[in-house]
Amino acid sequence: MAEDSIYSELKKEGMSRRGFLKFCGLVAGAMSFTMLPPIEGLTDVRGVQSPVKHGTIEMVAKALQTKQRLPVIWMEFQDCAGCTEALTRSKSPTLVDLVLNKITVEYHETLTAAAGFQTEEAKLAAMQKYAGQYILVVEGSVTDLDDGIYCTIGGKSSMELLREAAAGAAAIVATGNCAAFGGLPRAKPNPTGALGVYEVIKDKPVVNIPGCPAIPEVFTSVLAQFLVFGTLPELDALHRPKNFYGTAIHDRCLRRPFYDAGKFALSFDDEGAKKGYCLYKLGCKGPTTYNSCATLKWSGGLSFPIQSGHPCLGCSEPNFWDGGGFYQGQSAPISKPTGTVAAAAVAAGVAIAAGVGMANVAQKKAAHSADKEEEE
Amino acid sequence: MNWTAVLEFARGPFFKVALLVFIAGMAYRIARIIMLGWKKDRVPPRGSKVEGAAISFLKGILIWPFIPWVKDTFKRNPIIYIAGGLFHLGLFVVLILGTAHMLVWKSLLGFGWATLPLPIVDWLAAVAIVAMIVLFIHRLTNPVMRLISGWPEWLNLLFVFLPMVTGYMMTHHLFFRYEVLFSLHMLSVNVMLIWIPISRISHFVFYFFSKAIHGADFGKRSVSP
Repeated sequence: MAEDSIYSELKKEGMSRRGFLKFCGLVAGAMSFTMLPPIEGLTDVRGVQSPVKHGTIEMVAKALQTKQRLPVIWMEFQDCAGCTEALTRSKSPTLVDLVLNKITVEYHETLTAAAGFQTEEAKLAAMQKYAGQYILVVEGSVTDLDDGIYCTIGGKSSMELLREAAAGAAAIVATGNCAAFGGLPRAKPNPTGALGVYEVIKDKPVVNIPGCPAIPEVFTSVLAQFLVFGTLPELDALHRPKNFYGTAIHDRCLRRPFYDAGKFALSFDDEGAKKGYCLYKLGCKGPTTYNSCATLKWSGGLSFPIQSGHPCLGCSEPNFWDGGGFYQGQSAPISKPTGTVAAAAVAAGVAIAAGVGMANVAQKKAAHSADKEEEE
Repeated sequence: MNWTAVLEFARGPFFKVALLVFIAGMAYRIARIIMLGWKKDRVPPRGSKVEGAAISFLKGILIWPFIPWVKDTFKRNPIIYIAGGLFHLGLFVVLILGTAHMLVWKSLLGFGWATLPLPIVDWLAAVAIVAMIVLFIHRLTNPVMRLISGWPEWLNLLFVFLPMVTGYMMTHHLFFRYEVLFSLHMLSVNVMLIWIPISRISHFVFYFFSKAIHGADFGKRSVSP
């Protein structure tokens, strides 16, 4: 399979030229125009070299007309399949269609119809056939503790499976906080020794799309960019695409004016909450959380947690489960001394002071008696 | 560099240790001062020492700050008086009535209180920072101040200045990412917490001691030994 171009496959399924171009526009939109590199040989109406909107659509159309489908192998380890759920229930059906049907998912534990060793064989066959070309999508954290017994599929540990699949991958996309940073399985005390993919795989490009779940449009965009341009988006220090993780949620939040005005909701049912005031005092992690929830939003731009009245949990940041209480103010310290420890510190300070004081008195007395002796 | 990890360290274990050092250090200092004891009254006092101390506090907090021009200290050096006053005012408002800081107190003490709107706190923070720069320049240019300033005095300025500037930059999202500034803010706060007990910034407690002792001296109206 995958000998035909994507466009010819779409045509076979009855998609019109008009429908195809609309589709291209959607894909281009998902990649966010401003971040595209200037494209060689592509000029706008004035003949100026620039990555303008219509040029980008043309570029997408050209790529989809000429390129073959992009094979994807989707592996799930210590996960809840929530990222898959989010993707399949995304409000952009055409984009999901692009990913799940047009891009060719060769292996996906949740979506596959086959079961057991058949599926594993199909996966190995796909890995051989598309060696060096496929995108490996990982959902869920990997573990190597106690020989990896905490997560095994078909008798192989998650670490083994990841290394095996990563070896032939063109690039790896870690979707969700678990695959990116370890997520919930890594919460203290991290009983399974969970790790994020980019901590394990160092020799392949790893794109992290953290979130709980990852925003489907972000995921689709990354794959679309790879499909059309054969490149990966520019990444930040935590391997997240800069175009989607470049600004903090706080900076784009619709409740931000209330933060600036000092108007806060103090509980979930007070007057401030009803008026839509800022949720900072209720523990919102928006200021330190980088994601595009506030702009892309969820369910087709309908809403996102802060809009619907819940503070941000910071789910696209590493160790967000242990980053202080979800409902504790963001500025509050993560760990603080207990009353007993603080009292012990006071006692220690006073005891040392008493010791030093008594030593001084003794020294003075000794000096005094020495003086007296000298006088005598 | 992974700033999220730095931030976790600065808000977590480092803060905890710094706070414990601060608590133990201040307990030590306070105990040492108390153990020095009071001077013995060799002459029977004619007035009340408690009254004298109370009046001293009331004057110092409720009267002098609002009519500073009647005082000699103001007349001799109004810049240092005004800058010093505004610096302390800004600092207290930011630390106690700023929302973010109130939440820190709340997590430590278990209760919170109403806070001022951000713009007010923000302006006072800016005033405090400018006042601090004025005080720094004064210390740098005034020959007498230069003479009595050793390295601990310069460090005092630095260790108080850093948390203030990083905090201000953080609220305004200036130059660096929020978690970078948050980390720098917390790191500098932690360093300051450790520095306070061994430096003269501990005057935030000992101010009350000296005020009480001087007030009592004024109050007893008798010959001091």
